[in-house]
Amino acid sequence: MTSADVLLQATPAPPAVLIQIATSIVIFAVVMIIVPLLTVFERKLLGRFQSRYGPNRVGPFGLMQPLADVGKLVFKEHSTPSTGVGWLMTIAPMIAVIAAIGTIAVIPFGPVGAWGDFGLYGIDVSIGLLYFFAFGSFAFYALLLGGWASGSKYSFLGAMRSAAQLISYEVAIGLSLLGVVMTAGSMSLVDIVEAQSGTWFGGGGWFIGPQIVGFLIFLIAGFAETARAPFDLPEADAEIVAGYNTEFGGMRFGSYFLAEYIEVLVISIIAVTIFFGGWHGPGPEWLAPIWVLVKAFFFVFLFVWVRATLPRLRYDQLMSFGWKILLPLATLNVMVTAVLVVLT
Amino acid sequence: MAEVLFFLAAALAIGTALAIVLVQNPFYSVLALILNLIALAILFLLLNAEFLAAAQVVVYAGAVMVLYIFVTAYVGGSDQPVIPEGGVLRTIAPFFAAAIFIELSIAIVGSGLTMLDSSGAEISAGFGSPAQIGELLLSRFLVPFEAASYLLLITAVGAIVLAQRRRGLEEAEL
Repeated sequence: MTSADVLLQATPAPPAVLIQIATSIVIFAVVMIIVPLLTVFERKLLGRFQSRYGPNRVGPFGLMQPLADVGKLVFKEHSTPSTGVGWLMTIAPMIAVIAAIGTIAVIPFGPVGAWGDFGLYGIDVSIGLLYFFAFGSFAFYALLLGGWASGSKYSFLGAMRSAAQLISYEVAIGLSLLGVVMTAGSMSLVDIVEAQSGTWFGGGGWFIGPQIVGFLIFLIAGFAETARAPFDLPEADAEIVAGYNTEFGGMRFGSYFLAEYIEVLVISIIAVTIFFGGWHGPGPEWLAPIWVLVKAFFFVFLFVWVRATLPRLRYDQLMSFGWKILLPLATLNVMVTAVLVVLT
Repeated sequence: MAEVLFFLAAALAIGTALAIVLVQNPFYSVLALILNLIALAILFLLLNAEFLAAAQVVVYAGAVMVLYIFVTAYVGGSDQPVIPEGGVLRTIAPFFAAAIFIELSIAIVGSGLTMLDSSGAEISAGFGSPAQIGELLLSRFLVPFEAASYLLLITAVGAIVLAQRRRGLEEAEL
């Protein structure tokens, strides 16, 4: 990175807009490179969990598998059932990808000064967390419209399940983060990371300590928000074929898949940002984005681990767990934190 | 940039508002309402009201409208007309619409048009930020804020009571 520093000093500073565009493109590109690798990572890891190899034929160690998959998906036919609504089936996967990519903009990868005179994030807005939730709530419509527009019973059931599930767990996930917002005194993700700077290898001020309850609720509700096992009821393959995406093929299905993996990565990085000190870590400052990704990697691993380990919940268990356990617990956490924030 | 966005969002808001009323299928009507709420959120953003825009999307477009979609997807068929033929509502509705239209016209012509040539009100730094809105809600607007939360609490309790009463009534029209 020293060469980049020299380059920045030698040439006159480019306008702020250009820097912002460049940062956005780099962040987008990095995320888009990681996401295909996540699919092969998950499949290989699932293989290991089940005492098999996983994909190992395409390229070295099967690393080219995502390319082969995408190549196959792109050339497959888009079919629309006679009862389906064609234009909505086209739009719904687009919404999924737009909503997933939109959330990347607020993720902070590094502070101002890490790589130059600019912060390593798309934007730093005062409503950071709400921005994240706003795009998260768009993701509903991708599943809901996709399932409804397919005009098939299984898709419809999947869509209705996803609507009920996502709306139930969004309440819990919002409340779980409120404790952190109150402690940091800001909703901006950059401010939240900066509030966690501490001694002890940069880990002294992490919110995982005081907000352990909030973190656990966030983690569980995060699994539910991304609709992954053990909360993958919208696409429970043993019950409703593939749920909302039953009738989707080709790259339309691929878009849902892409959105799901972006969401897994984003939720992992958000967990790191909010509870594990974001870019803080030992070593020089320019390591900031590396720390974010390394910490996020553990959560991605956790996502796969849980998927390989836990069985799917029953629907009524899912609902009563969300409303009767997570929600009261999150509310209690918020109240206790509020009292502590006022007292200290 | 802001001007272009304003006219795009305004056109989208008006177009979707018309679509809500004119579309026959209730499901598409709700979809138009969602787009309308998003267009309004963009207008809020242009007015420096970040928090309001985010709240609009999270609460209305993201949560309330999901319930609307839920209901229309389950029970609403395109073969059923949204408004039944005849009835008292059908005859008095135009009068109410006309009354609201006249009232809004007076308000807009009376106050809004004089502001067209000005550059808008001065706004302080941090205007519309969550911190500032929170402070206003807990100081200047405390009583209306508390009244609204009581209203919400009462409706929540009322919904539970109604749901309890209907439990087990299979023949009731649900």
